[in-house]
Amino acid sequence: MADIRNKISKVYSFEQMSRGNSIIHRVHPMAKIIVTVIYILCVAMHTKYRLLSLSPLLFYPVVVTALAEIPGRKIFAQSLVALPFCLFAGISNIIFDKKILVTIGVVAISGGVISSLAIIARCLLCVSAVLILVATTPFAKLTAQLVRMHVPVLFVRLIEMVYRYLGVLVEEAYTMIMAYRLRSPGAKWPHIKDAGSFLGQLFVRSMNRAERVYQAMVCRGYESGIYANQNEKMKLSDYLFMMIVIVPTVFVTLFI
Amino acid sequence: MHMADALLSPAVGGAMWAVSAGATVYATKKITDMDLSQKKLPVMAVAGAFVFAAQMINFTIPGTGSSGHICGGIMLAALLGELPAFLTLASVLIIQCLFFADGGLLALGANIFNMGFIPCLIMYPLIFRPLMKKGISKAKLAGASILCCVLGLQLGAFGVVLETLASGITELPFGTFVAMMQPIHLAIGFVEGLITAAVVVFVWQVRPELVESSVHKEKVSENLSLGKVTVIFAVLSAVVAGGLSLLASAFPDGLEWSMEKVAGTTELEASGGVYGFVEKIQNTLSFMPDYDFAAGTGSGTSVAGIVGALLTCALALLTGFIITQMKKKNVDGGH
Repeated sequence: MADIRNKISKVYSFEQMSRGNSIIHRVHPMAKIIVTVIYILCVAMHTKYRLLSLSPLLFYPVVVTALAEIPGRKIFAQSLVALPFCLFAGISNIIFDKKILVTIGVVAISGGVISSLAIIARCLLCVSAVLILVATTPFAKLTAQLVRMHVPVLFVRLIEMVYRYLGVLVEEAYTMIMAYRLRSPGAKWPHIKDAGSFLGQLFVRSMNRAERVYQAMVCRGYESGIYANQNEKMKLSDYLFMMIVIVPTVFVTLFI
Repeated sequence: MHMADALLSPAVGGAMWAVSAGATVYATKKITDMDLSQKKLPVMAVAGAFVFAAQMINFTIPGTGSSGHICGGIMLAALLGELPAFLTLASVLIIQCLFFADGGLLALGANIFNMGFIPCLIMYPLIFRPLMKKGISKAKLAGASILCCVLGLQLGAFGVVLETLASGITELPFGTFVAMMQPIHLAIGFVEGLITAAVVVFVWQVRPELVESSVHKEKVSENLSLGKVTVIFAVLSAVVAGGLSLLASAFPDGLEWSMEKVAGTTELEASGGVYGFVEKIQNTLSFMPDYDFAAGTGSGTSVAGIVGALLTCALALLTGFIITQMKKKNVDGGH
C-alpha cells in the first residue's frame, strides 16, 4: 500500500525542498533552466567512448547539491530510477562490442565496457541535473518561466493543474485499492477482468470532480489566458552563476 | 518505454523536441481557436492526474504471475478527443520527467512523440474514429481499442529503436534490437488494449456522452486544413531527416547495417557536405582531440587518464562534503 503513497510523497518532498533559501534557491529560475539545459546537452554530446572527461562534470551536481543544502542521497537514489533501460543498452554494448580498447597491465578492457560505463554515468548526471532543478525551484516559478519562453499559456496552465490534482486523484485511487483489498483477502492488485469498472469508476469520479472544479473556478472569476506577470529581472549574480557553470562545462565537453 | 537522455544524441533529441513542440503548439492553438479551452482545461487536467493515478494501479494477469498497468494514450483519446488527449499526455510526461526521473529532459521530445503523438494523433484519428463512423457498439469499441493499442505500441517501440540507433550509442544491431522490442511490446500492447477496451466500454455505458462527443468531433478534423497539416509535417520530417542523416554520417557503424538493407549502400551522399562542415568546426575547436578512450591510446596514458578521472571525481565529492560540513558548522555556530 505504501507503494502508491510513496510515489506521490516523493513529488511533494521536492516541492518542500524547493522552498529553501540557500544561495542556489535564490538564483533566478531562468538562469537555472538555462544552466540545466546546457549541462545536459554537454553531457549528451560526449560520444560513446568518452568516459574520463565526464569526471569533471560531476562537480556540478555535487557542489550545487551541497550549496543548496538538499539531501544528495535522495537525489542520487531518485536518479537510479532512470537506470534500467540504460543498463539494458549498456549490457548489450558489453556483449556486442568486444574490441579491446585499453590494456592496463594484464587487464584488457573492451570498448563495450567503457561505453556502457559511459552510458550509466551520462544517465545519472543528466537525471540528477533535472532533479536538482526541481529541488531548488518552486514549480510555480518554473512554469512562469515557461510562459516567458512563449510556451502556450493554455499548455502551461494544464501542466500546473495536472500537478496540483495528482495528489487528489492518487488519494482517490488509494482509497479504491484499499477498499478492494479489504474485500478480497490475499489479493494485492485487482484482477484484470475488473480493470474496466475499476478504472472506469475512477475516471467517472474524476470527471465529476473536474466539473465541480470548473464551476468553482468560474465562480471565482477564472478566465484562462490571463497570467500574472511576476517575473523579476536577472541580476548580475545570476549571470555569474551561469558563467561559473557553463564555461567549464562547455570547455570540458569541447576541448578535453 | 520511457527513453533516457544517455541513449540519445543531442541531434536526435533536438529533432524529436522540434516535432513534439510543433505538435503541442498546434494542438493548443486548435483547442484555443475552437474556444474549448475554458471548459476543457479542468477536464484535461483531471484526466491527466487520472492517467497518473491509473498508472500506479497494477492489474494481475492470470496465468503469468505478472501484472501490468496502462500508458493511457488511446484511452484518453477515446474519452477526450485526440488533441486534448495529446496535450494531457504531454503534460503528464513532462511531470514524470521532472519529478520521477522517468525519461530525461533531452529525451522528452522523443517520449512525447512515442507515447503521445503516435497513439493520440495517428492511431485514434486514422483507425479508431473511422471504425466508429457507422455507430458505436460495445464490440466495436473493444476491438478498436485493442487494435489501436497494439499498433500504437508497436509503432512507438519501433520509434524507440530508430531513435536509439540513430543516436549511435548502443551497439545492438538493428535486427536484434527490433526482435527484442517488438514482441515484448506486442504483449504489452495487448494487455493495455484489454484494459483500455474495458474502461472505454464501461465509461460509454455510464456516461455515453463522453465517448460519443470525442468520436463525433469530425468537425474538428475538418477544421484542420489538409494543406496546413501537410506543410507542417513536411517541415518537421525535413528537420528529423536532417538530424538523422547528419548522425548517420557521424556514426556510420551504428546505421550501416540497416542502411545497407534499405538502400543497398552504406553511403549517404547528400549529408557529406553538412558533415564535412561540422567536422571542420570540430577540428578547429578541439586542440586536444581524441584525448579520451576513443583514440585507443597506449596503456601508459590510459592509466594516467583513469587515475586523473578518479581523482577528479574524488575531488568533486570532497568539495561537496566540505561545503556541507561548513554549512553545518555555520548553522551550529548560529545557535
